Amino acid sequence: MSPSPEPERRRFLQWIGQWSVVATVLTQFAGVVRAFVPRVLYEPSKKFKVGKPGEYPEGVTFVPMHRLFVIRERNQFHVISATCTHLGCCVEWKAKTDEFDCPCHGSKFKADGTAFAGPAPRSLSLHPLSVSGDGFLVVDSGKSVPANYRFAVA
Amino acid sequence: MRAKLNRLWRRATWSWSPASEREASTAIVENLWLHWFPAKVAEESFSWSYSLWLGTISAFLFLILIVTGILLMFFYVPSTQLAYWSIKDIHYVVGFGWLLRNQHRWAAHLMVLAVFLHMLRVFFTGAYRAQRSTNWLVGIVLLLVTLFLSFTGYLLPWDQLAFWAVTVGTNIAKEAPVVGSALQFVLLGGTEIGQSTLVRFYVLHVVVLPAAALVLFAYHMWRVRRDGGMAVTDPAAAVVATPQDAASVGGKTYSLFGVTPGTSLETRAAGPIPDGTGVFSAPHMLRRLMLVFLAVFTVTIVLSLISGAPLEEPANATLTPNPAKAPWYFLWLQELVAITTLRLGGFTLSGGLIGGILVPGVLLMAGVLWPFFDRSPLHTVGRWFPRERRLQNGVLCVIALIMLVLVLIGMLMRGPYWQLYWPWQAWPEMPRRL
Repeated sequence: MSPSPEPERRRFLQWIGQWSVVATVLTQFAGVVRAFVPRVLYEPSKKFKVGKPGEYPEGVTFVPMHRLFVIRERNQFHVISATCTHLGCCVEWKAKTDEFDCPCHGSKFKADGTAFAGPAPRSLSLHPLSVSGDGFLVVDSGKSVPANYRFAVA
Repeated sequence: MRAKLNRLWRRATWSWSPASEREASTAIVENLWLHWFPAKVAEESFSWSYSLWLGTISAFLFLILIVTGILLMFFYVPSTQLAYWSIKDIHYVVGFGWLLRNQHRWAAHLMVLAVFLHMLRVFFTGAYRAQRSTNWLVGIVLLLVTLFLSFTGYLLPWDQLAFWAVTVGTNIAKEAPVVGSALQFVLLGGTEIGQSTLVRFYVLHVVVLPAAALVLFAYHMWRVRRDGGMAVTDPAAAVVATPQDAASVGGKTYSLFGVTPGTSLETRAAGPIPDGTGVFSAPHMLRRLMLVFLAVFTVTIVLSLISGAPLEEPANATLTPNPAKAPWYFLWLQELVAITTLRLGGFTLSGGLIGGILVPGVLLMAGVLWPFFDRSPLHTVGRWFPRERRLQNGVLCVIALIMLVLVLIGMLMRGPYWQLYWPWQAWPEMPRRL
């Protein structure tokens, strides 16, 4: 075969060909990766009702369905998440010692949610409260509030 | 008389029989089943006490896992509504389903153990040096695949044990710097463990990871031969290796998909083992492989008869079992995760990050890089605990011992709220059941 009259053009076309294969593979791979990041979550809403204020006695009440504690001090309410800030286990309320204890790795939290022992790096989250039109307490577990947050119900 | 009978039998049943060692080698290399093996094997590689056959044991456990796993797939339904009940059916309704499940469980536990011990053996005998460093890296990936296979399988029964082990595991992933939250989100397919998580883990467990393990395993085995067989044969090979001998052999030569230059040593008809030494892999290696398989199979069956795979209550996101323990091979990590939270003034470093990501990450990196920093003399390769490698072997011994102690503490001495108790000491409150 005679030497190509335009070796540069040939090299360029070859280059285009090879890199378009690479680009195609990478693009398809990116598409596959994107598929694994869900666009819609069929999970329960982060905002939900937890019953009427009057149903709660004084002190700490565990709401298992939503993994949180509703705490009532007369007409003041606040909500503390039961999800341990260490690795996500469900903490338990110990009325005897006035603290939340985690069964997984032994983290301990004071009654206001402050971490004071064990491996938990942060205090338990507090979620904001509101009252719905039909008189139910509504928790927004997608948001956090400072530890001194209290919600007054008239 | 016997030799005569033998000859008669051969003439009656064989159209051809090898007239020389070379012909015998070719017969092995060109056989569909036997061409996996090198034609001839140095007798040193058969030593029970050198390799303890741990790699072979791992491979056979993997074979058992594939067969029992495929059978279990006929009865298992990867749905949050049905998974638990299909496992219950497998255990109590399907004929011999309990045996399948127990054997799968035992083989999985034993494979983690065998792969880890195999890695220790390779380190202690220095069999990861020079040309074998690549295969050491492949081995590390295989260890990770094994652990991830085990972890993904852990979720499938969808009982309390499964749910909380995976809760803790995926929350550790979340502690990874920068990508942690995204990683957990993609792993779970959402913000909480649910149907997407189950399907993801299922597909990883039954297709993606086994396929990865098979490909890596094939490469691992090919690599052993390419790198000159087992390290224990190095001293003998160094004496007899003569390049012109290898070149003189006609026969088939091939490299991996034609990608790697050169030919692999053992696919030459006789390999580096000169005529008159070494033994033919069929039947000598074949017989030992069968023996090892028989032993492995028997052990898994006997263990399955003695002790069954646990099945706790159905998964319940609102009630964490107390204490909640990871599978035994992750207990050293759980122990680290529970004790390594650092508080410096107002700044807190989570145990999930230190114990769950940094410590295992550093160990892994050390494993990956070690072959390239190891300066011990090469003549020590292929011997257990040589004097020249005392320090590094000692360090690994200590690390392995610490891991073992942490696992034992986690298994035997952790009670409710992760408090320490002596194994014989009664817990103040027994774990709550539904």
